Amino acid sequence: MKKEIAITAFQCKKCGRIHYPYHDRCLDCKNREFEPIKPKGNARLLTYTVIFNLPWGFDQRFLILGVAEFENKIKAMGQIKADSIDRLKLGMEVRPSWEPVRVQAGEDVYGLKFEPVQ
Amino acid sequence: MRDVAIIGAGMIPFGRRDEDSLMDMLAYASLKALDDAGLGDKSVNAVYVGNMGAGIIQHQTSIASSLVDRLSLLPAAADVVENGPASGGSAVKNGLLAVASGYYDYVLVVGGEKMREITGWRATDFVATMTHPQAEYPYGITLPGMGGMFTRLYMEKYGVTREHLLAVSLKNQEMGALNPYAHVEMTLDREGIFDSPHAVVNNPVAADPLHLYDLCPVSDGAAAIILCPLEMAKKMAKTPVLIAGFGQATDTHTLQEREDPTDLKAVTLAARQAFEMAKLKPGDINVAELHDAFTILEIAESEHVGFFKKGEGGKAAAAGKTRFGGQIPINVSGGLKARGHPVGATGVAQVVDIVFQLRHELPKNRQVKNARHGLTVNFGGFGNNVVSFVLKRIEP
Repeated sequence: MKKEIAITAFQCKKCGRIHYPYHDRCLDCKNREFEPIKPKGNARLLTYTVIFNLPWGFDQRFLILGVAEFENKIKAMGQIKADSIDRLKLGMEVRPSWEPVRVQAGEDVYGLKFEPVQ
Repeated sequence: MRDVAIIGAGMIPFGRRDEDSLMDMLAYASLKALDDAGLGDKSVNAVYVGNMGAGIIQHQTSIASSLVDRLSLLPAAADVVENGPASGGSAVKNGLLAVASGYYDYVLVVGGEKMREITGWRATDFVATMTHPQAEYPYGITLPGMGGMFTRLYMEKYGVTREHLLAVSLKNQEMGALNPYAHVEMTLDREGIFDSPHAVVNNPVAADPLHLYDLCPVSDGAAAIILCPLEMAKKMAKTPVLIAGFGQATDTHTLQEREDPTDLKAVTLAARQAFEMAKLKPGDINVAELHDAFTILEIAESEHVGFFKKGEGGKAAAAGKTRFGGQIPINVSGGLKARGHPVGATGVAQVVDIVFQLRHELPKNRQVKNARHGLTVNFGGFGNNVVSFVLKRIEP
């Protein structure tokens, strides 16, 4: 079953700025009250890379990573589901999902993944 | 506030130092700085140790207390300063403020890191612990990965090319080969890493679009300086170097929350503060040590500190303007790219390299002629905490 994307962004109740991750005060107006918001729809790929020198805890040859912006302007990092970065372009549409992104102490850690929309 | 000068500087060769512990390296660099200052058998009032990873890598904490004991500097005040890869710069800042305030007269600042005793896999993870613990770290992002994403945006916006990055790489390794303290004492062959079909193997993609030779090595090393009030420094044997300007600024933890992720605001602000305090302009600087953990950073920082307009730094590097003998020599030491990047040491090492330049002590093939003013930029996180100094030669 498809899992809900379990990240929450925070929109400043005073100036409207969207924050992800959480801040105690708004980055723009310093207000402390926020409206929790969930990512909506597909996302647009803002930047990406493929890394070959992986950190401890990843047992694979390479990892494709990127930052994408959801339809409601939340920006977040995630892993990208692609065989190669040759398929990727800045600004392309990607479909988000919530899946295991690594294993820690034998347990799956869930996070964002983005898959290019054909 | 008192003017503060550097009266002693010392460094040990960076690289893989299997025979030395972290404490050995900190002690060796400190003794060299004490001797350089002519304080060999004397003490100092305070010690600031720049270090990022002893708690994680060596499983050792309170290393400043260990160091003053080992060096017989008791009962000097002693603190560790941790600010990621800008730990060294922040340690120098703490020393500067302590002397400037009038509270202490003689301060030792030493930065050190021992990163090669763990595997590359573990070292990469250790450095990645500075990324955001929920929004970045779980995905496996590394600092080179951040550099890759930044480079893609910088290329797209400003037309930086791999040729521009290559110019930085070739230049810094050429200079590193002349520096006895450098980790990588090897020049690079353009054909072998760029033009020939074998370049794919010799210089593979590390964090696209960055390749292996766009990245600094993982290093062991330490560097140290001694600070005192300028008026006292004038009575010492060595030519004093004034810390004429200092600046530090922060930016959002994650790159994604920056309005324009190619804008390194903390670099601009830190350098501007340092220039304003020194009453100098970028055009007054004769030599600079910029934080080239990745080749793109030297280019971007050369623009953000004001040496070149945005979008011109890559072309300037390719045109030789940042070479030794060029318009503004950058990273004559070899920079992080060749001198190496033991993270806690780097900010202090940059200052030591500029001190050597401003005291006119280097061999001809590395000494910038008549150098009077130098700039350092120590880049913490991915530009979320940046420390900058303007140093000035005081004529004897």
